[in-house]
Amino acid sequence: MTRGRENLRGVVERTLASFVDALEHAFYAEELAKENGVLQKLDPRVKIVAILPLILIAALARRLWVVAALFVIAVAVAMLSKVPLRMLAKRVWLSVLTFTGLISLPALFLTPGQAIYTLPFFGRSVTAQGLRIGVCLIMRAETAATFSVLLVLCTPWSSLLKALRVLRLPIVLVVILGMTYRYIFLLLRNAHDMFKSRKSRTVGRLDGREQRRAATASAGVLISKTQQLSGEVYLAMRSRGFQGEVYVLDEFRTGWFDWVMLAVFVTVAILAFWFGR
Amino acid sequence: MIWPAYDVGLLRMHIPDGYLSPSTCAVLYGTAIPFWYVAFARVKRLLNTRLVPLLAMVSAFCFVIMMFNVPLPGGTTGHAVGVGAATVVLGPWASMLAVSIALLIQAVFFGDGGITTLGANCFNMAIVGSIVAHLVYRAAAGRTAITSSRRVLAAGLAGYAAINVAALFAACELGIQPLFFRDASGAPLYAPYALHIAIPAMMLGHLTFAGLAELFVSGGVVAYLQRTNPALLGQRSSARTDEAARPPAATTGWRATRPLWIRLALLMLLTPLGILAAGTAWGEWGARDFSDPQMRQQITAASGNIAPPSQQPRGLARLSSLWSAPFPQYAPPFVRRPAFGYVMSAVFGSGLILGFFLLIVWMAGGREAEAPTTSA
Amino acid sequence: MIVPVFEVRDVTYRYHEVTALDGLNLTIMPGERVALLGANGSGKSTLLSILDGLCFPEKGSVAFQGEPLTENRLGGEVEFDFRRRVALVFQNPDVQLFNPTVFDEVAFGPLQLQWPKEKIRLRVNEILEQMEIAHLKDRSPHHLSTGEKKRVALASVLILDPEVLLLDEPTAALDPKSESQMIDFLVSCSGGRKTVVTATHDLDLVEDIADTCHVFQRGCIVAAGAPSEILNDHALLLGTNLIHAHRHAHASGEFHSHPHRHGHGH
Repeated sequence: MTRGRENLRGVVERTLASFVDALEHAFYAEELAKENGVLQKLDPRVKIVAILPLILIAALARRLWVVAALFVIAVAVAMLSKVPLRMLAKRVWLSVLTFTGLISLPALFLTPGQAIYTLPFFGRSVTAQGLRIGVCLIMRAETAATFSVLLVLCTPWSSLLKALRVLRLPIVLVVILGMTYRYIFLLLRNAHDMFKSRKSRTVGRLDGREQRRAATASAGVLISKTQQLSGEVYLAMRSRGFQGEVYVLDEFRTGWFDWVMLAVFVTVAILAFWFGR
Repeated sequence: MIWPAYDVGLLRMHIPDGYLSPSTCAVLYGTAIPFWYVAFARVKRLLNTRLVPLLAMVSAFCFVIMMFNVPLPGGTTGHAVGVGAATVVLGPWASMLAVSIALLIQAVFFGDGGITTLGANCFNMAIVGSIVAHLVYRAAAGRTAITSSRRVLAAGLAGYAAINVAALFAACELGIQPLFFRDASGAPLYAPYALHIAIPAMMLGHLTFAGLAELFVSGGVVAYLQRTNPALLGQRSSARTDEAARPPAATTGWRATRPLWIRLALLMLLTPLGILAAGTAWGEWGARDFSDPQMRQQITAASGNIAPPSQQPRGLARLSSLWSAPFPQYAPPFVRRPAFGYVMSAVFGSGLILGFFLLIVWMAGGREAEAPTTSA
Repeated sequence: MIVPVFEVRDVTYRYHEVTALDGLNLTIMPGERVALLGANGSGKSTLLSILDGLCFPEKGSVAFQGEPLTENRLGGEVEFDFRRRVALVFQNPDVQLFNPTVFDEVAFGPLQLQWPKEKIRLRVNEILEQMEIAHLKDRSPHHLSTGEKKRVALASVLILDPEVLLLDEPTAALDPKSESQMIDFLVSCSGGRKTVVTATHDLDLVEDIADTCHVFQRGCIVAAGAPSEILNDHALLLGTNLIHAHRHAHASGEFHSHPHRHGHGH
């Protein structure tokens, strides 16, 4: 299990890369939400009511063909909403396939049933039932993930939050989520700068303990900054009249297009549910 | 089966969509909601108008912490959740909410973790994690000074315990899927691994990697704050007025209830032994016993001289192939209701962890004389 | 008899064993344009927070329009009224921009004051146009430059049309173009009606935006007067760390040391 010091240098890079990735993802999401596709044109509340049931059904359906059909629909919606399939493949499909694929790999062999293929040296065989389980799991994960990503990428985050009130989400939670989202990026940038400056100040390779100390020190700095920021933001809120009540102002307007699409999605959901039980 | 653990990212506890059945998801959401409700009420009472910015900031912090790659001994890396640090600094209720919010954003916006399984993930990591971290921290830190090194150790242990118990819950949730949710041909519909695979697989990875990452982050944060801003650590207890009102000598709290915890842990650990002790109680037969002539005699004798069927019952054959290790001869009783056996295993696992920490606390407590009344 | 907007009497404020303000006295009349000059840590920001009712002195008193400004009096309707009339623009725009989009940010104040929603939508769009940031309406704050953030922060307080504007280092960290835009704006917005109090250590700003200067040092006001007087008192400026003297080169080729301000050709 020892991979040596060479890899430790990669740890800081990897963390930095994940920060940058998150920042870029958010930026990309904001750009996509401005495109002129089908999903973008819909009222966010309609989108939630339309897509959330599809996510649920895709994750929980019992019939493989229903899940596959839903996947095809997801791809069609993606294309109509100007979401590049290559991006979906890279960000969603590949990672779900890897994760779920690896997890379900043993199930191919362990599930009792009729053997369809025997590995030459190990003597273990892949069973039909095992294969079915693996494929089912992967399909479900892929379809659910695709619908979620479509919902989120084609809607600006703050609109999405406000639209969640249609699910009776309390306003205070909407406000907190909005603020969390906003400050995640501030903290990410701080953490990124901290790591980067640490990296540039380091000559040669740090061993594991020192890297660990650097990581935990960064965590400590972040939590201090968190507390300080929260106090200052509180004062800024007070200064603008905040006395504990929270409000949101939305600009949602539903048109005929929204109702038509809602009807379409709901029909698909009902059919999928009926056949997938 | 040992999972390849090179990139421990694979061993994250975030359960994706499709692994849990609808009823499991619903039950876990249903369990999480009352906790969220109570946590919100308590935090609002404590923080009042400061609630919004403070929760938002700490949630943002947890989210960022979850992205850190923490280097671990042995050359690998792990990810922490931040529940240990959040609980120590803010208390369990605020931590429950903050970690849940971070998980929600992770799941919805970044696609890390499922939406149907959000209730389960929040329950495991945020709710159970915060409770365990809180209990262990209180127990291990005792009433030592805020800047004592014992607090650092306590925070580390709290984080470690929290992650491992959370992983255990997650493993159980995944492990019972093939038990209850199967299709017409008998194949599992959702997560395919039964408890005897799920539990060791998840626990191994978390006891060694993810748990350690949490331990280092929690301990590290407390150590850092002790040096730079000890007031932040004190606010947890100063905000809780009931703690100030408590009588100094520990007639309540950890010391008084310790004997109870010890007895509970022993009971939990002894559950499998109870099964072994009674010899062949009625019903405790494995599938093979039906073909073994000696065992058949025993079964006949125990069953009022009615000979058992010559072939193993089909249901028994099917189910017994699922459960074998780790106590092969001493398969759990009541094979007709294997669910019970699995619950026993989970209880045993929890007992192990609880016993481990009682041991640590006892060892740590033995070194320090009982301080009279110092500020918490 | 004109009631002063702010009457600060003998105010002392301590924070974590540091005395930020020490027996401070200050009177600000309506319509005045005041500059609080001082190096970082001299107490200007603390005074602004006190004037905005965000923290309260341990000793001394503060009165707004003749009414005492204390923690007990603020709350409920009184506070809503006060918040509408007095606005503070923080030094760090990231603290002030806490909403997910620019539109939400500018709408926050009116929402708290419970204006009707249609009125809010109208006014928000109006003021975004005025400040030339309408194109940033749906942007998140982390995608804005510092200059844009400061403009959004200003827009978010100006929408309430306050009587008093408190500005904490409005040009700090701004690039020259944004800085000049900000100065233009500040000059234009301070009409006779508004009282503007600006805390800054940027001396180039002072002549354009203030009629009176108060110089801070270690929590006390050590000098007050018109900008022209103060800016020519080099000894004072040197003593309060507002200018510095170090070796530098002149265009003529001379190389010596004397008190000077950067960014001002000489």
